Amino acid sequence: MEESPAGLAPSEFSGLYEENNRAIYYLALRFLGDPQKAEDATHDVFLKAFRKLDQFRGEASLRTWLYRIAINHCQNLRQGWHDRHMFSNADDAVWDNAVAKTDSPLRVLETKELGQRIQKTLDALSDEYRLLLLLVADEELSYEQVGALVGQSPDAVRGKLHRARKAFAAHFEKTA
Amino acid sequence: MKHQNKLSQEQQQSRQVGTEQQSQASGAREFASAEEMLRYDAAHTPVPPDIAERLQKSTGDLPRPKTAWWKRLFGGDHR
Repeated sequence: MEESPAGLAPSEFSGLYEENNRAIYYLALRFLGDPQKAEDATHDVFLKAFRKLDQFRGEASLRTWLYRIAINHCQNLRQGWHDRHMFSNADDAVWDNAVAKTDSPLRVLETKELGQRIQKTLDALSDEYRLLLLLVADEELSYEQVGALVGQSPDAVRGKLHRARKAFAAHFEKTA
Repeated sequence: MKHQNKLSQEQQQSRQVGTEQQSQASGAREFASAEEMLRYDAAHTPVPPDIAERLQKSTGDLPRPKTAWWKRLFGGDHR
């Protein structure tokens, strides 16, 4: 592997990939809902990062910077495929009044069915809720960092996260 | 620290309840929140090894560097 345009040695870029590939691949997989597209997207995201590392200013963590590249990439892909929105922000009231048991455990009988049910559930959510849940699930990100990635304040993230959890729980039960 | 802050704000309580429990009898797995379920799913979702191989090939043809990213960040040679 060549040295990156930003002067990153192969071993350093390899380390960057090793530390972040799971997070980026999982985001792409669950956001796009297709393993092959997620694989392509992950490759493209890290290639972009490799090419643009000299533009990284250190204002955010590398993980956050990679997420921003991944989010832009995945959103562009999705916009290219379709613009269906099964649920939008206008549906918030529906979920506020839903009987979703967000305080009760979400139960799955077998681990192997989990991925399929999660994908179905996320597919039924708005892009905003889907992205929010996927980012908040990364324990390395603070609410501030999640907010910066989705263009919201940390307080707005907390508020929307509450509704996103309700929507997720309601849809998840339907996938049983 | 950030991680701890986020957990302490909203998730610590639910963790204390006893989450991601696997019932010995039914094989059922329980999660207290959507995020916890997603974390579990992410941890059990393998990353295709092809990606690393493709990246190695893709980066092979790129031009040589101009300025090292770490020099831009730290302003000197730290190697």
